[in-house]
Amino acid sequence: MKILVPTKRVPDTDQKIAAASDGSSVEIDHLPFVVNPFDAIALEEAVRISERLPGVDVVAIGVGEADYEQQIRTALAMGAARGILIQCSRPLDPWNVARLLQAAVEREQPDLVLMGKQAVDDDANQTGQFLAALLDWPQATFASRIDFVDSGIRVQRETDHGLETLLVPLPAVITVDLRLNEPRYASMAGIMKARKKPLETIAAEELGVSLQPRVEVLRYHSNDSRRRGERLESVDQLAELLRQEGMPKRR
Amino acid sequence: MTITHTADVVIIGGGVAGLSTAMQLAARGASVVVLERERIGNGSTGRAAGLLGQLRGNAEHTRMLIDGVKIVRHLEQQVGVEIFVQTGSLRIAETQERAEEIAALVDMGKSIGFAIDHLQPAEVHRLLPYMRTDDLLGACYCPTDGHVQPAELVSAYLKIGKQLGVRYMTHTPVTALLIEAGRVRGVRAADSEYHAPVVVNAGGPWSYLNAELADAALPTAAIGHYYLTTRPHPDFPVDRLSPAIRDRHLRLYTRPESGGLIVGIYDFEPEVHDMRRLPVDFDMSRMKAARDSLQVAKLLEAAHARFPWIDQRTPMSITTGIMTFTPDGRPFCGKMPDLDGLYHCSGFSGHGIVQSPTIGLIMSQLILDGASSYDCESIEADRYFDMPGYVERRDIERKCRDMAGNYYGKVERPEPAAQAS
Repeated sequence: MKILVPTKRVPDTDQKIAAASDGSSVEIDHLPFVVNPFDAIALEEAVRISERLPGVDVVAIGVGEADYEQQIRTALAMGAARGILIQCSRPLDPWNVARLLQAAVEREQPDLVLMGKQAVDDDANQTGQFLAALLDWPQATFASRIDFVDSGIRVQRETDHGLETLLVPLPAVITVDLRLNEPRYASMAGIMKARKKPLETIAAEELGVSLQPRVEVLRYHSNDSRRRGERLESVDQLAELLRQEGMPKRR
Repeated sequence: MTITHTADVVIIGGGVAGLSTAMQLAARGASVVVLERERIGNGSTGRAAGLLGQLRGNAEHTRMLIDGVKIVRHLEQQVGVEIFVQTGSLRIAETQERAEEIAALVDMGKSIGFAIDHLQPAEVHRLLPYMRTDDLLGACYCPTDGHVQPAELVSAYLKIGKQLGVRYMTHTPVTALLIEAGRVRGVRAADSEYHAPVVVNAGGPWSYLNAELADAALPTAAIGHYYLTTRPHPDFPVDRLSPAIRDRHLRLYTRPESGGLIVGIYDFEPEVHDMRRLPVDFDMSRMKAARDSLQVAKLLEAAHARFPWIDQRTPMSITTGIMTFTPDGRPFCGKMPDLDGLYHCSGFSGHGIVQSPTIGLIMSQLILDGASSYDCESIEADRYFDMPGYVERRDIERKCRDMAGNYYGKVERPEPAAQAS
């Protein structure tokens, strides 16, 4: 069985992130980049499956520029057997990422695509769904538990109303949620082995996909995230302030 | 428009070194302002494990640490919170060389009346059932050691400091030192000037940059450090009073934390950070290790060797931060010969939390009395002043990194006990 794990290289969103003064981009100088945390969960799940079941191959794939290689190596160190980098220097929206991944899936013929439910940089939460639709495969999103059963995979997913259980036949696209597992830190042996594992680079053009941008980023700007606050001396003072300013609005 | 404030002492840095110094100075009536570039106690202080091993190779350092516990006990009475957790501590040896090191330490400790003794491996196993002990050749136990809880210590310094009138300014990075006629007159920060005859550089990993504001070379380097904290494990509960462990062969130390275990290592090839490259409002609590960090892999390997139940899959968090090392592992406390009024207080080389109580006292004595009741020879700020090989950043970083890498690595030879009275 082959599991394809698409990953995205994202800035560490726990850091302070600022927009460039002309609004054209995010300031990335000195900003650490990581594997999208949801994709790391997908990768961890795939690696656990490969440790549990015989004959499971985990292939990590990413779409981006050459510096993406570092995050693919991270995936290899965590336990993926092989890496693929679709090299593309143009900014991509989820639709076009899904189309490139579709081409890669057609080449690789995996039984399962396991990926994060969304990337923490743009929070689009679209790529997995687009990909399943393009492939015309069953999809299960927001997985919090995955079990192999005779007829495919049983997926528990978190919804606003509680847990929902789906049965999906393979091949399928499954996107994972936060509580599925806790991704590992690579072992020394894992890091050493990763240096020798195959990492294939494919130019996006070679996949025969003509990009169709649907989303245009007009401008980035930074929100002032500093909270305004002041220390009051008494409850009366607070009550007075609330009378003047009005109660905070319920959302 | 520049706003001018005045004080007797301006302290740069709101970590334990600056906070303790501020509290001790204010206790003697000085007016003190602490200027912190980010938040109080959120740099190295906020990442520290706080292990306290009182017995050091140098007798005066041992005395400073023992007295530090007394100061902390007094703070606990004042604020009503437990700061020092007396778990006891254990050093273990799995090689003959390390066993001899422990024997020498026990002899030295006993000669100065410090509570320390050998412990048989069977007894170690009884004390620490969650640790591998079948490979041990020896161990020693100090019942009065333990760990200082960094957050509680910070709160105590802050609470008492506020009562004594210390002013704390956060998100206030110092951009210039005001220097006139060979002495410091204060600092500039944002749109304010803080005028004071004494300025203390307690900037931790940033302290060498503060020194550079006065064209001085402070031989410290910012060294990366990693530890893990396991979540409580059903099969291997860790009691909150379980002793701290030092295993210098594996380069690791441990202490209990909330039912789990903190395990850290002093790696032989640590990272050196260039503090100038970090944003001025850098938040150390947001530092994160990569999933394929070599440092974390080494940490996991060492932890697994001593605690076989800890592996990649163990639920845990990884903490990473920056320590300030010096070429000899001892801090810099005091003035440089060519500039009056600027006192350095930095370079605690992984021991800032536990050294801070006494260091604050020493700094207040140096500033207000011109001399300390402790023998400060080994921590004088000018011990490398203008010395070839200790001026250029690259040389300094290499020497400090060597010190950090050798810390735990080299076998200690305690100074003869004759000096220890």
